[in-house]
Amino acid sequence: MIIEAHGLRKTFTTRRGRGKPEQVEAVRGVDLSVEAGHVFAVLGPNGAGKTTTIRMLATLIPPTAGTARVAGHDVAAEPAEVRRSIGYVGQGGGVDENAPGRAGLVLAGRLGGMTRRRAEERGEELLAAFNLTELAERPIRTLSGGQKRRFALAIGLVNRPPLLFLDEPTSGLDPQNRANLWEEVRSLRGQGTSVLLTTHYLEEADALCDRLVIIDHGLVVAEGAPEELKKQVAGDVVTLRLRHGDAGPARALLSAQPYVREVRAEEETLRVYLDDGEHGLPPLLRALEDGGLPIQSISLDRATLDDVFLRHTGRSLRDAD
Amino acid sequence: MLRHTALFLDYELRQTLRNPVWPLFGLLQPVMYLLLFAPLVAKTTVGGTMADTLKLFTPGVMMMIALFGSLFVGFGMISEIRNGYLERLAVSPAWRPAIVLGRTLRDMVVLVVQALVVVALAWLMGMRASVPGLAVMLLLMAATGLLASGLSYGMALALRDENGMGQIMQFFALPVILLTGIMLPMSLAPAWMQAVANFNPLYHAVEAGRSLFDGDFADPSIPLAFGLTLALGALTMTWSVASMRKLAG
Repeated sequence: MIIEAHGLRKTFTTRRGRGKPEQVEAVRGVDLSVEAGHVFAVLGPNGAGKTTTIRMLATLIPPTAGTARVAGHDVAAEPAEVRRSIGYVGQGGGVDENAPGRAGLVLAGRLGGMTRRRAEERGEELLAAFNLTELAERPIRTLSGGQKRRFALAIGLVNRPPLLFLDEPTSGLDPQNRANLWEEVRSLRGQGTSVLLTTHYLEEADALCDRLVIIDHGLVVAEGAPEELKKQVAGDVVTLRLRHGDAGPARALLSAQPYVREVRAEEETLRVYLDDGEHGLPPLLRALEDGGLPIQSISLDRATLDDVFLRHTGRSLRDAD
Repeated sequence: MLRHTALFLDYELRQTLRNPVWPLFGLLQPVMYLLLFAPLVAKTTVGGTMADTLKLFTPGVMMMIALFGSLFVGFGMISEIRNGYLERLAVSPAWRPAIVLGRTLRDMVVLVVQALVVVALAWLMGMRASVPGLAVMLLLMAATGLLASGLSYGMALALRDENGMGQIMQFFALPVILLTGIMLPMSLAPAWMQAVANFNPLYHAVEAGRSLFDGDFADPSIPLAFGLTLALGALTMTWSVASMRKLAG
């Protein structure tokens, strides 16, 4: 295990104006274990405690309670050893805005112990790999969001860390740049680098990670491989729209069907969870027709991580913010 | 540790060289004082020649560079905190104090270069001063830079707010400058002002500078100025290094 955390907690004390100090429990007991070579995601809505968790693991802030070993070292007792084994790319990117990217790359390599020559060679390697050679002498502030993010990633990788932390790596990127970054994360995984990333995009966690935890209000609500978690909810989801007032009786009717796992109502829309949508759909349609409940619209989809989130928290991740 | 400090110094100096226009711009104010204020002072003092006035006035201008050049260096750091740059350095293998030390050393180098330009200008305008005294004065300036940079970085790390910092630094800078006797000698001031000026380390630095320019190395203001600026500099540096250590505490 490249990361093992038990009972991580973080409580911040904030003072609002003249009011008395207020305790904010950002993380309330998180257990994590990440296998070496895996891409591991921490998925959750904004304010769930994702960033606080990753910051504790990257030795940026000390945990209030709990323990964590990262790359074989305790984050509280041996932060310097941990820092030698990790790359960290924060939410803002964390690149010096006024300097050219090449200078930042070389500095990062030399701080990691390389000679100037070695650091320059490594810098050129990464510039080429991330398609940044042309932009290497431009001050970072003149680059686009996607280009900055690529520099941030390159700097995080200079010292070939076995473990890379990415905090919200694609927030604010357009779809093209997001797809590119996904490719880069996949290729890192191919080279054996372990990655821990936080995200509030379901698609991102689903597309990239081997395993994930879903956290909400500072607690882990689910942990596993994406497929495994979705299987626990159901294989497929039928989304139904019915006439006004029909949702209640339809819910009762469908819940009683043997092939239906669960039915959730959101106003006029019903989400019906089935293990096998292809075979379950015909009897479901018949049952509604026999019950005199005409359908306005219907769709059949694979269950997503949002359904997992919904199941565990009672809310949809899309409107949990 | 020293290696990391040297790496940051090297990085910051290259950065300064990439945009040399800003430190040059910072020179404009002291140069204006030399060109537009020194002749005025020369006229108001009885029997004062331009050369004498410049000899009194230049040490003060040098201290002004040291103070104004360094008090505002922390501003850049606030945006570096905000965009996560310092945070990333903090979780890199870098020795955290080196992040501040490298910058402070850069500030000191820039100050010394700026001071040399000002002295060269004063020399062209007719000032003649003791050369060894001048060299020691540059050291004193560097020590003042340490004090002011330390204060500025410490303030940036503690406040993390450009507006607040601007107000506080302005509030500091004006009385400190007025109570140095740069503009007019403190001997013209009423007794209470002279008493207050005694608590201003920059006042002693300017006094020491005047003695040094005269080649008078025995003047007690010289060890006093070095002692004060170095002690206070050590204090402000400790503060900013400690703030850097617990950057995201």
